[in-house]
This record gives sequence, C-alpha cells and structure tokens, in this order.
Amino acid sequence: MIEAPSISPSKLLKDLDALWLHLGENQEDPNHASAVLRACAMTLIAVVEGDVGQEEIGETLALLVREHPSRLIVVKVFDRAEPRLEGEVTAQCWMPFGKRQQICCEQIVLSVSRGSLVEIPPVIRGLIVPDLPVACWVRSHALVQEDLTGVFDLSNKLIVDSGGVAELDHQIQFIRNNETGPRRVGDLAWTRLTRWRQAIAQLFDDAGGGERAQLVTGVRIDFQGGFVPMSAYYLVAWLRQCLERPIAFEFVKVAEADRARVQSVALLGSGGDLSISVSTDRDVELHTGLRCAHTIFPRLREDELLREELSVLGPDPVYEAVVAIVPGLLQPEPVI
Amino acid sequence: MTAPSNPFQDPLRFERRVPPCVLVIFGANGDLTKRKLLPALYRLAYEHRLPPGFAVVGNSRTEMTHETFREKMRESVEQFIEETPFEEKIWNDLATGLYYETGDLKDPACYRRIASRLEEIERERQTGGNVLFYLSTQPSHYQAVIEGLGGARLQESASGGWRRIVVEKPFGHDAVSAKDLDNCIQRIFPEESIYRIDHYLGKETVQNILAFRFGNGIFEPLWNRNYISSVQITAAEAIGVEGRGAYYQEAGALRDMIQNHLLQIMATVAMEPPGTFAPQFVRDERAKLLRAIRHFSPDEVKLNTVAGQYGPGRVGGKALLGFREEPGVAPDAQTDTYAAVTFEVDNWRWAGVPFYIRSGKRLAKRVTDIAIRFHSAPHAVFGEGNGADGGAWAGPNLLVLRVQPEEGISLRFLSKLPGSGMKLRPVEMDFKYGSSFGIRSPLAYETLLVDALVGDATLYTRRDMVEASWEAVQPILDVWGNSRFDLPNYESGSWGPQASDEMLARRGHSWRIP
Repeated sequence: MIEAPSISPSKLLKDLDALWLHLGENQEDPNHASAVLRACAMTLIAVVEGDVGQEEIGETLALLVREHPSRLIVVKVFDRAEPRLEGEVTAQCWMPFGKRQQICCEQIVLSVSRGSLVEIPPVIRGLIVPDLPVACWVRSHALVQEDLTGVFDLSNKLIVDSGGVAELDHQIQFIRNNETGPRRVGDLAWTRLTRWRQAIAQLFDDAGGGERAQLVTGVRIDFQGGFVPMSAYYLVAWLRQCLERPIAFEFVKVAEADRARVQSVALLGSGGDLSISVSTDRDVELHTGLRCAHTIFPRLREDELLREELSVLGPDPVYEAVVAIVPGLLQPEPVI
Repeated sequence: MTAPSNPFQDPLRFERRVPPCVLVIFGANGDLTKRKLLPALYRLAYEHRLPPGFAVVGNSRTEMTHETFREKMRESVEQFIEETPFEEKIWNDLATGLYYETGDLKDPACYRRIASRLEEIERERQTGGNVLFYLSTQPSHYQAVIEGLGGARLQESASGGWRRIVVEKPFGHDAVSAKDLDNCIQRIFPEESIYRIDHYLGKETVQNILAFRFGNGIFEPLWNRNYISSVQITAAEAIGVEGRGAYYQEAGALRDMIQNHLLQIMATVAMEPPGTFAPQFVRDERAKLLRAIRHFSPDEVKLNTVAGQYGPGRVGGKALLGFREEPGVAPDAQTDTYAAVTFEVDNWRWAGVPFYIRSGKRLAKRVTDIAIRFHSAPHAVFGEGNGADGGAWAGPNLLVLRVQPEEGISLRFLSKLPGSGMKLRPVEMDFKYGSSFGIRSPLAYETLLVDALVGDATLYTRRDMVEASWEAVQPILDVWGNSRFDLPNYESGSWGPQASDEMLARRGHSWRIP
C-alpha cells in the first residue's frame, strides 16, 4: 500500500530555523562581513498554478517582499492525477542599494496536486506568523474555482484579479460572499483603476469642480477585448457612488485584444468635454475643454498592484460600496 | 451656501493632489530653486500630482526669457532629481507652465508685471486665482518682497482664489528681528496664509516621531520624568562651511540649527498628544512645549551652554582647514560652529529632565538622532557592574530615533549572555525604515510644497512657535554676544569641545557616540 504524502508544519519550521542558521553561517565568511536582517511584517499566502509562469511569479514575490516583508507561503497547485504534497523552505534575499546588510524574508513552498488541496489549510494554519496580518493572493481565476475556502478563511485579506474574467456575475458574487467578518477582499482589476480614478478626480479639483460634477449625466467607456471588463463596471459604479445618483453608461468596444481593458473614459453632460484616454500603453491624454495635458500611467506590474492592495488591509469603504453597486449594473449589458 | 466640493475622492488610495494654482518663486535663479524646488515639482509632476493648469512664475534680477528660464530649470531637474527617471513628455508639460519675470525686488513695477502675468495665467490656465508666493531670496530682501506684494495687492485674488506665502529660514536673526519680520508679513498676509518652512519637519523620520508616540499605546505611558532620565538630540555634520563662510560667520550653529530645526524636533519629541492630527491642534501642542522651555539667567547660560569652533585637523590623511582659515571668514571670528545646550522644560511631564542638544560642523560623522535615556532599574538584582546599575559598558535602556542616515528606531536592553552564570550584555532591537518599507520616501521639499499648495500647515511653524523658540535661545545669544571665547576649541573630526563633555558630566551624564 502506498502511503499518502504528508507535510509536517513543525518540520518546516525546524527547516526554517536551520535555514537562518545557514544564512548566518555564510556571513562568517570574511568576504561576507555584514549580517543578514530577517524581515517579516505579515504572512502572505500566494496560491499559484504550479506549471505556469514560475519565473514571473518568483520575480513578483521577490519584489513584493521588499515593501511588505513577509513570511511567504507559496502554494503551487499542480494539475496531476497522482496525489502530491511537498514542502520546502527557502529565502528571498536582497541587498538594499548602497547598504551592506542583506535583508531576507523566509519562503515556504508547498507543492500540491489539485486532489490534495484539502490537506493544505491545516498545514498553513501551523505556519502562520503569530499576531501579524495574513493576506492571501490567488493569482489565477481558475484557482478561485477550486475549493480553497479553508485557505481563504485563514486570511484577513483575500486578493483576486477579475482582469481576465468574463463571467462577471459569478465573480462579483464570489467577492461579496468572501467579504465576511473581518476579512476583506481586494481585486487587482480595481487596483488598476486607481490612476484612472485619480485622473478623473483631478478634473474636478478646481473651485467650480463640485458644481460641474453635478452636471455629469453619463459616462462612455471604450474598451478593448472580447467582453466588457469588470473594471468598466467598477468605474461606472464608482461614479454613481461618488455622485450619489444613477448616471447613464455605455460601453463601446473599440478593438480586439488578448485581455479586456478600459481604453478611454468620457464623462458626458453639460459640464464640458472631459475625457481621459490611453493613447499607447503608457501615455495618457486628459482633455478638459480645449486644454489637453499629458501624464503617464506606467504599466503596473503585478507586484506594484499587490503592493497597493497590501497597503489597505483594513476596511476600504469606497471599494466595498462599489462592490455593492456592481450587481445592479450587470444586467442588461448595453454594448454598442 | 457653500459650493459643493469635488465628490470624486478616495483618501485611502489617492495621493493628496494639488489644486489648480500658480507658484511664484522669488529668487528663482538661486540654489534652492535649482536643487530643491524644481526637482521636487518635477517629481510631483511625474507622479501626476500636479493639476493640468499648474504654473510657476520665477523672478530674479538676472535678465532671462521664459525659454532660457525653462532651459536652466531643465538642466537643474536633470541634475538633481534622485531616483526618478527624466521623462521628456512630463517635463514638456511642466515646462509649458514655467514663466519668468525679471525684476528688482525693490521696484514696484516688478510686482505690477507679476500681477499682469498672474492674470494672464489665470485666464489661460484656469488657475482660479490661487497663488503661492515662495520667498527663496536672501533674508535681507524679505521685507521688500512683502511690501512689494502688498503694494500691488497681490495678497488678494479678485476671483476669490487663495493667496499664501512660504518663508524660508532664517526667520529673523534674533527675537526682535523675528517679531519685526512677523509684523511686516502680517500687515499684508493673515497668519493662516503664512507658511514658515522648517524642512526638518518635512522629513519622514521626524513625522514618524508622531506616529511612534501617538500611534502606539506602549510608549506614551513611559514618556515622562518618571521613566526618562534625559534626552539627547544630536545634529552633526562631517563637513565644514563649504564656501558659505561669509554667511555662516553671521549665523553660527545656535541660530542656524538649534533655534529652528532642533527645537522643533525637541518640541515633536516632548509635546503633549494633540486631540486630533489637525494642523491647529498639532501646532498648538508644539507651541505650548516651546513656551515651556526654561529661559536662562546669564549665570545659567554659562553652566548650560557651550560654544565651540573647529580648528584645523586631519581626517583620513587629509588636512582640513580650521574655520578661521576658511574663505570669507575673519581670522578672529567668534562664530560658534558648534553649540551645545542643556534645555529644561518647565511642565509636569518633563520637570527635571535635561534635554541635551548639540549641533556642529566638522564633527566625527554626519548624523542626526534623538536618544531617549531611561532610568536604570531601581535595584541591581544581578550585582553591581552587571548592566542594570548603569555601568559604563551597559547603561540603562536607550531608545534611539535616527533621523539620518540609517533612518530608524532602536531600543537597547539587557540580555543574558548564553552560558552558565548570569552575565548581562546590552543588545538592540532595531527597526530600519529603509528595509521595512521598500518604497522611496518623498523628499522633505516634496512633502512641504504639497502641504503648502493644499493648505495643510501641520508641518510649518507658526508665529508663536517661532517667537517661543527665539525667546528660548535669546538669553544665550545675549551672553555669547558679550563674551570672548577662546576659540578654536575643538579639532576637526572630533566630537566637539571638552567643555561640552564637562557640561553633561556635571549632571552625571555623558554624550553618547552616535
């Protein structure tokens, strides 16, 4: 009889102790005279597909821990028939620019087959850093479909990405269902909108801005891709939430693209011609009446989006209000 | 009825944005504009925190076209931006809003030209009449600029916009001149429109003192005379006067550093908790603390202050000039390039706790920090000389707030040395700002410019704060002004004059080596 694979959290914690000793020993080398600094401000669980984009994920996490030093628990999910459950420890280390002390964050990698996912929550429970926040990032939408409730329940913040999701009804329901008790949900599709929202807000910063905002009666959102992205609905919901009244909206498909995304936003009404459009990947034109200004929306990497979300671990009243409005917008879909 | 405000806000996620406005810089051809102000503005533009119509009007006596001014500013920005790429498009957008008006600050026509330029900009760029005037000139010109602005009625906007003025330090040369300057400004601008800049207050680490004290519950109960035996504030520079000998000769360390920066830091460390983090409440508490600093009698000045001046020395094989050999400095100058003062605060929280403050040039290294020294344990359980009794090698608990470099906080406490027996050794718990937050901290001028443009005066000093800090140092200036010191009295590269060590020794304390 083949024994089912297993992992012991205690063994992994011992391995971590040994790892730190080893990192410390390396510093005895005269060529490495400086010490290692162990940094940890939270537990970050990253649930990722084991066979996809490992290099990219590694880079994202390495960059992320520089701002949010964490104990990283990376759950790699493999699409295999045979049961798999393995754990190993390693560290993410970097040398801050101009400094002589290396900073390291510990990382525990749990490799698990889909069939063994149910075994994972008790393991993670034993690995969480006491008394610090726990965030959980589920990188792919496919993984959100898995039964990971036990993992989500361990976290104070669950981060998903609705960016490539076409079944918006289901997704928004998932988000609402997971906003339970003290746990918050963050959506990177919403995070990507911060610069858009900020640019819109900036159009109304002048003394008469508040009055002009009252003249906004509708919004037209041009998008690329095969379906209206969640971000377009988020924008409409946000405008309604800010204006505290319904406004008309239309979504116009302007181009095909691999990934659906907002290309431009025009606010309609008698308040003048106000629009924001991304002319290339980065360059942005803001039109306010006759004036046109440029700014840059640098293409945000996954670690930058996560950085923003991990900075908001408590309540996020604006997003929570937006999530409550979106379901009402989803039917019918007024695509031209 | 008030007009509705911008409804599109998300303070949790949005950076504070600057409203449409114009920044008028007097002294636009000077070092501060080139090294600090324009790079800070570019950085804000890069982070799209400036509004589309934002404009800058530069003024100085040098003849320049708008185009030449833009080109000069571009060179400065390229040279002095740190950790930020130079993007042509961003610069071009910012540069279209840069204007230049040549003019003598004593000439009323200069202000009329600025006024008509502002009207034109308001029409074309919809800045709503909002203007921030920035005095970046020699302090001797402040009065002329303020009177010029008043003469052209530039302190008011016909279209209802705001008008504010930023005044760079030094804010006066002594208590009387500071009052005179205040009176002069307040004849034209109301106090709420006056922003007296102290760039130390804009430093992230100084702001973090407030977060550390009032965001945490465990430190504040210890933050008083019952637990703290003394506080040391050090602002040391390794460099000398670096070509500023003529200016520095008139200023000195007491005026240049202690009267403003270090007393503001002391006020931040020692103030009472404000009711809320609103500008008025925070400034009220700082002002109350500054007013509670004991004013010395002439005899007390002699006991509680030390003036020093660096002589020649050698550091790392390099010969260094003494202050009196520096260009522009008189060979018998009595200037204090080092000053140390033992301040006391007359209130219930701090009665009897000395605040040792020192600042100097050509000291052993560049460092600014605040060290809170706690009382020793009341009884040496582990035996004399074993740590808790305050033996020289161990000492009591020490909390160090490091302002620069290596920004962070460390707490020293005693721990058992592994092995048999009970031997104690001091160890440190260390928080390093740079390693816990990977993002770049905004420079002090970025923070302070945004604050003035959005109308947040929390980190600016108020008239009563400036006057209280001048009044605290004025008795020292009076005695020093009538004394003849035997200078120089410390070697370049040392930690200052011996008299400074003796000042602390009289109270049973010693300077720590930062």
